[in-house]
Amino acid sequence: MSVFKSKRWEQARTAYLFIGFPVILFSIFTFIPIIFAFVISFFDWNLLIPDKVFIGLGNYIELFNDEVFLIAIKNTALYTVIVVPVQTILSLFLAFIMNQKLRGRTFFRTAFYIPAITSSVVTSIIFLWIYSKPGLLNYLLSLVGIEGTDWLTNPNTALFSIMALTIWSTSGYFMITFLAGLQNIPKSVYEAAAIDGASTWTQFWKITVPMVRPVTFFVVVLGLIGCFQVFDQIYVMSGGGPVNATTTMSYFVYNNSFKFFRLGYGAAGAIVLAIIIFIATWLQKKYFPSNPYQ
Amino acid sequence: MKLSYPVVLVVLLAFASVTACSNKSDKMRFSSWVSSPVETELFKEVLTSFEKENPDFQYDFEPIPGNYSEKLQLMLGTNTAPDVFFLKGMLAPSYMSFNILNPLDELMAGEADFDQEDFFPELLRAFQKDGVQYGLPKDCSPYVLFYNKKQFREAGVDSMPTTWAELESAARQLTKDTDGDGKTDQFGLVIEPVMEMIMPFVYQNGGNFQNPDGSLGIADEPFIEAVEYYYGLYEKGVATIPTDAGQGWNGDTFGRGKAAMALSGGWLLPFLKENHPDLEYGVLPLPAGKQKATIAFTTALAMPKRTQYEADGWKLVSHLTGKEGMKQWTSQGLAFPSRKSVAVENGFYEDPVFSVFMESMEFARPFQVEYSERGFEEAVVALQAIFYTNKEPRQAMKDIAKRIAKYKLTR
Repeated sequence: MSVFKSKRWEQARTAYLFIGFPVILFSIFTFIPIIFAFVISFFDWNLLIPDKVFIGLGNYIELFNDEVFLIAIKNTALYTVIVVPVQTILSLFLAFIMNQKLRGRTFFRTAFYIPAITSSVVTSIIFLWIYSKPGLLNYLLSLVGIEGTDWLTNPNTALFSIMALTIWSTSGYFMITFLAGLQNIPKSVYEAAAIDGASTWTQFWKITVPMVRPVTFFVVVLGLIGCFQVFDQIYVMSGGGPVNATTTMSYFVYNNSFKFFRLGYGAAGAIVLAIIIFIATWLQKKYFPSNPYQ
Repeated sequence: MKLSYPVVLVVLLAFASVTACSNKSDKMRFSSWVSSPVETELFKEVLTSFEKENPDFQYDFEPIPGNYSEKLQLMLGTNTAPDVFFLKGMLAPSYMSFNILNPLDELMAGEADFDQEDFFPELLRAFQKDGVQYGLPKDCSPYVLFYNKKQFREAGVDSMPTTWAELESAARQLTKDTDGDGKTDQFGLVIEPVMEMIMPFVYQNGGNFQNPDGSLGIADEPFIEAVEYYYGLYEKGVATIPTDAGQGWNGDTFGRGKAAMALSGGWLLPFLKENHPDLEYGVLPLPAGKQKATIAFTTALAMPKRTQYEADGWKLVSHLTGKEGMKQWTSQGLAFPSRKSVAVENGFYEDPVFSVFMESMEFARPFQVEYSERGFEEAVVALQAIFYTNKEPRQAMKDIAKRIAKYKLTR
């Protein structure tokens, strides 16, 4: 008995040591910074000024009176509300097609996946050229007689242009996730439906969509978080402009923390963003659970 | 027990490597940003000759390749800043207000032949607060007017524009639809919706971003008039902006011959030499409004307040901003000397191109405001509203003035 016990303890200790390293890493680079950010959000914390003044909710009050921050919330919400559904539906649709017996299927799968593995800075720069006034998009539009605008300096189109880029680059990534989900659906279900005379379209709606629901949940959660945190495309393509049309919350946080010296204020913005993400995920889990039949 | 021993070791090692990254160096450190390869090469030559003169001098040169200001700020805030670093003139007021720079007056006084009077006074003043010198300008570059000689000949513009009205009429004459498709292919002038480029016009009109009494000047009449004139050139179709032609900056638009004139500093010279070697261009002092004025860009060498290597740091600073070091650095005209005597020695007052820059320095001022960068960013947003949403300049400046006022630096 005691031999068994000491063996168990030894195993547990080894396990803790294995877990220990990632936990230490996580603590240093994630947990501690999160707590630290939460703490400094109550201070007027300028890195370059030695005295850090406790101001309670001062930063939060200023945030909600800051026109640019309110625009950033609006832009981020709009971005998420459009990108998440479109990219989810599109990637499911792509996955469904790629799951059919199609000629050149491997080629198409690869082609759709390439944007996902390309650095977002690289794709942003490519789209910078596509969207420019004499760029590819306007050239194509001119062929059908439409005169395009300068997509990224026009405040009415800038955010939507960046949304389109995101949808293009993430759909391929989520397509792979959905493909994995689709391949878990037993063939027999489709065969049975086919015998009953269900069309491909009906099969898609009545079998595929409900059966991949856990995957959909995963894709939507990841999509939500990714959209709320959108940063690199904005940083590379528009710098938050024109006229704050593409200033998102994380870009606002970055600017205030690292460009305007105001780490406390930036941290407060980051905490608000974290709370929004938390609420959105919680709502989703509550009202759209991954498996409603449980 | 046998199994866990190596595991403990691995964990400890990993932990040690994560936590114990000590950054203590036993040498002085010097950081710059990284600009064009030509400049980097030249700067290394300057450092090499400094090393030859001071064979015992120990230091590490650590250029920062990107996001210079952001990184430098983090380093200053965490006491890991280099002992000597480049400081952009525009950022000097906020750095000085945060009291993080080392005063240089005593060090300068200890150097008999440093000759402080030799610098252009406006450039020295850019790095002063309450009479204390916190940085020394290593070079400068004023905005001048570049013009395309061939396009001027073809359009029959033979007198050079010296006033706002002449600039506009010359630009109109130079604006052409060369292939007859109803669209303008060659504009008179290329401008950018950025504050730096509007400021010369504001100064010429007697305005200012920040008035001498500290108040905000951007909603004052002289400022608004200058913005109206500047935007008017674009609105009337005699000037273009780089993004309209899919270009990144005005130098590119000018180099490709899409615009016959451009406002630029000296950095356009090596760019044209490299990318458009056949372009026939000349430079002129900026046309004047009510008075002659332009803005000058300048970079200083500065030291952080907490440096442990004050003497070594000063040795480097005084060499690079001293007559000899500056002469070597500015000899090719990549940047212009902030000391008058060096410009004379380089023969810049005799050179047809360089002399225009040096003479413009007589009425040039660095663009600096005692507002946080957030305030500056708000001003840029106002310009974007004017150029991209056709907002009335007057209204845009008035709206933004209210918002900027609260970002004044208080110290």
